[in-house]
Amino acid sequence: MAPMALAAPPRPDAPTPASATPAAARGVAVAARGVAKAFGQRGVLRALDLAAAPGEFVAIVGRSGCGKSTVLRLLSGLEGADAGTLTIDGAAPFSGNPLARMMFQDARLLPWRSAAENVALAVGGDRARAAAALAEVGLGDRGGDWPGVLSGGQKQRVALARALVAQPRLLLLDEPLGALDALTRIEMQGLIERVWTEHGFTALLVTHDVAEAVRLADRVVVLDGGRVALDLAVGLPRPRHRGHHVFGEIEAAVLDRVLGVAADPAALHEIPAPCGLARTA
Amino acid sequence: MATLRLSPSPARPTDPAATLVPWLVPALVLLLWQVLAANEIIPPRMLPAPLAVGQAAAEMAAEGKLVPHVLASAQRALLGFAIGGGLGFLLGLANGSFAWSGRLLDSSMQMLRTIPHLALIPLVILWFGIGETARVFLVALGVLFPVYLNTYHGVRTVDAGLLEMARNYGLSRWQTFRQVILPGALPSILVGVRYALGIMWLTLIVAETIAASSGIGKVTMDAREFLQTDVLVFGILLYAGLGKLADVAAKGLEKRLLAWHPSYVRAR
Ligand SMILES: Nc1ncnc2c1ncn2[C@@H]1O[C@H](COP(=O)(O)OP(=O)(O)OP(=O)(O)O)[C@@H](O)[C@H]1O
Ligand SMILES: [Mg+2]
Repeated sequence: MAPMALAAPPRPDAPTPASATPAAARGVAVAARGVAKAFGQRGVLRALDLAAAPGEFVAIVGRSGCGKSTVLRLLSGLEGADAGTLTIDGAAPFSGNPLARMMFQDARLLPWRSAAENVALAVGGDRARAAAALAEVGLGDRGGDWPGVLSGGQKQRVALARALVAQPRLLLLDEPLGALDALTRIEMQGLIERVWTEHGFTALLVTHDVAEAVRLADRVVVLDGGRVALDLAVGLPRPRHRGHHVFGEIEAAVLDRVLGVAADPAALHEIPAPCGLARTA
Repeated sequence: MATLRLSPSPARPTDPAATLVPWLVPALVLLLWQVLAANEIIPPRMLPAPLAVGQAAAEMAAEGKLVPHVLASAQRALLGFAIGGGLGFLLGLANGSFAWSGRLLDSSMQMLRTIPHLALIPLVILWFGIGETARVFLVALGVLFPVYLNTYHGVRTVDAGLLEMARNYGLSRWQTFRQVILPGALPSILVGVRYALGIMWLTLIVAETIAASSGIGKVTMDAREFLQTDVLVFGILLYAGLGKLADVAAKGLEKRLLAWHPSYVRAR
């Protein structure tokens, strides 16, 4: 996989933390060109083109099984692509890439390490940085607790602290709020938006919740049939509120595309066709 | 309040009366036994009174026969456990962690495990004679498989999501092993250890009855020959006590090592 020559993003030369660097400059450019991926006979992605500018927040939505997680797993180096090129800051992805960190739907904390130790794991055991990261997500006083005694929302906060502590320049979020209740989810959305604004990393958020995508993302991308079916910029000022009429319009447009019904409301009652290549043939 | 222990509730009975309740039935049985035996309703040659057993124990201790025999038995048991358990642990780790090692060795281990190790006694005597080696070998063989199986199972069933997280967060192979695989397999390994401890004593008892010049088995065999039922019963109680001690030690280890586990967690 030859690294693609992209417009070189402004890049802080000093290692993190670079407090003097303007936040937006810390993100890295991410690009996928003609990416294909199949598991056995099942083609999941084909000719996927997707790009994110440095510091951009891109949300990926789509039906279950459309390959959203696969995109993130390719970028995190947990899987390899069959064809096409993927680049993070101009270089091919690899697992353990310090530029990119992933947050999963389940917190994936080590149950036998305290919250603080779990966070410190990402910075070679540096307890001071772990404590600072925990304080940033509002859990400064829970560092000594086992993950087993934390609530689901608190566990995800710890996972977020762990993802952020090493100051990654790309954050891959795979439905991180999917398992949370509605109230906690709104709180966490606010938290993610805040740390993204402060840290300036590039964010790729996979979500089932279209409103969440519209609330947080600069661009909402709909995956269908193994490629990008819709790529919509959300130009609303932040913080965004559902009450805004443009918010509602964007949300409806995305939802319609996800469900594959442009104008026919009756189709909503049909059993959705499985997400697959047949629909796009 | 034994059932309370199963619940993860942090509230433990602190009332001393409550902790005495489980001892009520054993104490009554002991009392009944003493009364029945003292009145010769149970013939002493069949089952001596508890006090007589206690007396025999005191005499043995006074003559200096108790401690050396207990030590001899314990030493055998622990040596066999260390060898067999250590081997089982290492094999389990290797076969669980490395695909090639698992493919090469696991099915052989599964085949060997079906042989009851006590059935090998005649062969073991043929190989090693009736000396110390034979007894230690039998114990080692007995504990090898439970430790192996549970270690292997524990390593193989470590949460794949955590392993993926470790890869994503750039943990080295050693760090992944130390921080994720080993602690993840630990609950299963400790189950194997506790099970193996039971087998350890059982094997030792059988092995010491074949022939032994020292140890608790020697004491009980002699007692049988001279019809000293009180010493015989005391020997059996000694085995039981040592077994209980090993179990308590294993439980303590579990509580320490699995302090994070939901069934042990207390708010720190
Ligand atoms: N390791 C794998 N082996 C075989 N098939 C896989 C594997 N990983 C993913 N798939 C298949 O690839 C397809 C896409 O999976 P993916 O997890 O990317 O979907 P998704 O869009 O994230 O779905 P969801 O919204 O339900 O999380 C699915 O049909 C899935 O069964
Ligand atoms: Mg997914």
